Amino acid sequence: MPFFPVLFHRRLVALLAILLAQPVFSAVQPSPGASLSDEEIIRQYKERCEYILNQTIETTDPNDLSTGSLFQVAVNLHKGTNIEWARKRLVFDNQPPSGNMFWVLPMVLLMQVAKDIEEETGQSLLTNDDWAFIRTLWRTYFPYRGDTENHWIMYYVSLYLAAEMFPEDGPERWYNGKSSAENMAEAREYIEDWIKITTSYGQGEYDSPNYIGEYTRPMALLAGWANDPVLRQKGKMMMDYLLLDFAVENLNGIYGGAHSRVYPRYLVQPSLTASAAHGWLFFNQGEYLANSSNILIALSGYTPPPILLRIAQDRDNPYIHRELKRTRWRLRNVGETAFEIDGKSTIPVYKYSYVHQDYILGSSQGGLLQPIQQQTWSLIWYEPKPAGISNTMFGIQPYSSPFEGTMYFGENWDTVTDLISRSKVDYDSEDKLEGGSPYEQIFQHKAALIALYDIPEGTRFPLIHTFFSRDLKNREENASGWIFAQGGPAYIAYRPLAPGEWKPVDWTGLLKSGAGNYFSATLSPTSGFEPLAGGSESYVSYELQNGYIVQIASVKDYDSYEDFKNAVVALPLEFSLTPTPSVTFTDLEGTELSAQYGKAPSINGKEVDYSTWKLFDGPFAQAEKESESLEMIYGQERYFLDFKNARIETSILPTK
Amino acid sequence: MKFLLSSFFILFFATLPLLADDSLVEPKLFAALGMTKSQKASPIPTDSGVFLYDTVNERWRRFGPTIQQVNSLSTDPSNPENIFLACGNGIVRSQDNGKTWRMVTGWRESDITKIVIDPSNGKNVYAASAWGVTISRDGGDSWSAANEGLVEKFSNSIVVDHLNPKRLLVATTAGLFVSYDSAETWEQIPTTPKIAILGLGRNKADPNIWIAGTEGNGVILSSDNGKTWQSTAPGLSTANIYGVTTDPFNGENLAAGGWGTGIWISTDGGKSWKNRGKELPSQNITATTFDYAQSGRLWASTFEEGTFYSDDMGVTWRSDDVVVPGATGSILGAYVNDLGFISVKK
Repeated sequence: MPFFPVLFHRRLVALLAILLAQPVFSAVQPSPGASLSDEEIIRQYKERCEYILNQTIETTDPNDLSTGSLFQVAVNLHKGTNIEWARKRLVFDNQPPSGNMFWVLPMVLLMQVAKDIEEETGQSLLTNDDWAFIRTLWRTYFPYRGDTENHWIMYYVSLYLAAEMFPEDGPERWYNGKSSAENMAEAREYIEDWIKITTSYGQGEYDSPNYIGEYTRPMALLAGWANDPVLRQKGKMMMDYLLLDFAVENLNGIYGGAHSRVYPRYLVQPSLTASAAHGWLFFNQGEYLANSSNILIALSGYTPPPILLRIAQDRDNPYIHRELKRTRWRLRNVGETAFEIDGKSTIPVYKYSYVHQDYILGSSQGGLLQPIQQQTWSLIWYEPKPAGISNTMFGIQPYSSPFEGTMYFGENWDTVTDLISRSKVDYDSEDKLEGGSPYEQIFQHKAALIALYDIPEGTRFPLIHTFFSRDLKNREENASGWIFAQGGPAYIAYRPLAPGEWKPVDWTGLLKSGAGNYFSATLSPTSGFEPLAGGSESYVSYELQNGYIVQIASVKDYDSYEDFKNAVVALPLEFSLTPTPSVTFTDLEGTELSAQYGKAPSINGKEVDYSTWKLFDGPFAQAEKESESLEMIYGQERYFLDFKNARIETSILPTK
Repeated sequence: MKFLLSSFFILFFATLPLLADDSLVEPKLFAALGMTKSQKASPIPTDSGVFLYDTVNERWRRFGPTIQQVNSLSTDPSNPENIFLACGNGIVRSQDNGKTWRMVTGWRESDITKIVIDPSNGKNVYAASAWGVTISRDGGDSWSAANEGLVEKFSNSIVVDHLNPKRLLVATTAGLFVSYDSAETWEQIPTTPKIAILGLGRNKADPNIWIAGTEGNGVILSSDNGKTWQSTAPGLSTANIYGVTTDPFNGENLAAGGWGTGIWISTDGGKSWKNRGKELPSQNITATTFDYAQSGRLWASTFEEGTFYSDDMGVTWRSDDVVVPGATGSILGAYVNDLGFISVKK
């Protein structure tokens, strides 16, 4: 019974915290904006962290050894609750160990948490046998490093921290036959290299609403537990960096703009994403969502700078935000625009977002920027309670090909599509909702977007389609050729350049059958296809030379829906589809936008110069290419991340 | 034929001084596995690693660590206790005949497709990878990139010329390249197509014969020690050929297989070819090799439908590809990335 007093105390605190926290978080929070003090922002953040931990305890069933993640085990160890369950679950869950890079990370977390408590209290939560069991796992289980950017950073951060806990251990104690010192040196070199490349050229797996947690988890691990002060500091700084990247394209907790990777379930329900869970934790927006990354972050002690919440919440003035990212490393078919970083090929990704208090319209330039799960452009509109609402619109040319597969994966031409489709089942389906195409070019200026397609004969899926949510109101096809609709506080005008037809989303039935586990075939409100995506439609066009124009406006900018429609119909528009698609369109602000497939677009006759694109370029964030730095600005508040020197600067700017 | 056999034995004995005591080593068939067809709805490969064929019990048995995405393996001709695994994670080496293993590469090396060791100096180890050629001059303790002269880095295979160990050929996605200075520099072999070369092999009986499988151009063959190459097997001229092999006991016997092709066999040095193996459960061939211990036996792996052998040049096929009781895995239904022979200590 040595833990009884600790347990009793922790349970009491946990119960009180739940009781206190419950009413506060059961409803959507109003946005306090810039009016809150730093101290108050941090206090509320810590409350939310505590709420997460308490919720995790609440959902632990100490009588059931068959369920409960290692994250949940870590929280119970941290809180001193259900210790026997936690110890047994640790063993049960590792019979045998599995998950590779997804295994190493929570294992390190629970080891660090157990060590913290043991150092804090002088009492052992885990027995010597438990620790021996853990050490045996690290000797006998050979986890795969993986093949994506997120796999590698999770793997190496975890390896670093695991080795750091046993710094004197020799090669015989580790699965890979390397000593702790060797593992730490290798892991550190990779971590530092990843940070340098990210802050110099942008992330390869950029701005993913699903995978943001695969980066914040390892960075929070570093920030929370690295003994090395430089790595600890860099972990904190990269957390700030990743969250700023989200904050500037955030609308009420939803990640707007173009994304490297999104799964279909989350494309149609943005409020279910890991980024939405982060939106609640870091920006106090949206609603609580159970999320393992949030659990780890809550345990880590990482505290975001208050400027992040202010930037995320301030949507008083619409703004343009540009970013420079890069593609995943290209192995073959690298293309003419490719450049090398340390011997590996990539091409630039030019991101553009127009962030408005009522919507975010964002895009990348099109092309094969990411394998499989790219979202080239998207619209999201503001919803006060976005859960269950499909508050989004996007379009794709459903491309699948070994050309793309072998560009990014080392597999063979004949097997790569099959192997991709085993985990991303919709990859080779014409009604898929995500993916890039080499025949797609996107150009955006503020709230107007032009998409052009030049699809060769013989392409596997010779069509384009655009997602029209069931939650759009007043959708109508106007005699002028425009399709109009309203999404929340945003008016939407969509002008197809070639005829199309309406089909139910997922018209092949692949997803609604439950394929790929993205959607349950049942009517579960949180995972069933019908509750999440049923009723939405796709506008499908089979013309090979094709395109469309999207024009968004705030409802509050027009006296009526009719006024908006009339204004759009009156806009000057010229286009042709042959020999290649081209458009000249004057948007609602009177700016003339010209785009021709295969050429650089122009604004009022001036060609857009992508060569000057910065890593971050907007009112809240600035970063030059290759700078290894990031400047956050909010009013007079300046927060500067200097990765070269592992240094954070905060300052107050002079009044303008 | 006599000449070929005698060449083989001359070569065999010529290399003996380089080997450890030959009475202590034997050739073993290996299968390097990426995954099995049971993998669904997950990016994490299922069963994978290395399996060796137990000729006594006619069974496959797991060898080495359970490690994912193994593409190939090789042993040091001068010391078969040194074993190298070519893995997605990098290179894993054993120096004690498989008792213990060590990942000898760091984070810069990954997606290794093939490894060869200099038969005259086991310190020189060469690896092909998705990121180019990486070499070690200290038996695998340290590694560095060696891509000077390569047009594209992605390399599927690499072979060291055992008669002239400073000469290597590498199969890249831009064609075949040769090095005459132990991989310090590379130059394109002019008569080869500038397309992806998927597999590469050299005959042990007649070292003048080299064979390569291509992406989209079928099989190419050299009969002058890799200097000039010609297209062969017209029936495969547009196929993607993943497996090529030559008979170590008879340089006239060649075999090739690729996607949708089944196995094609030549018994006259490539002058004529016959399509065999139509009764195999799949015509998608991922790897093939002639047996180095049993003359006339040919092995072929189909894509996730089993690994088979034929003792009658492909007329009939047999499989011992069954689950091993008590073993941690099997190659049943595996995606075999490579099939070949290594020398192992008895």
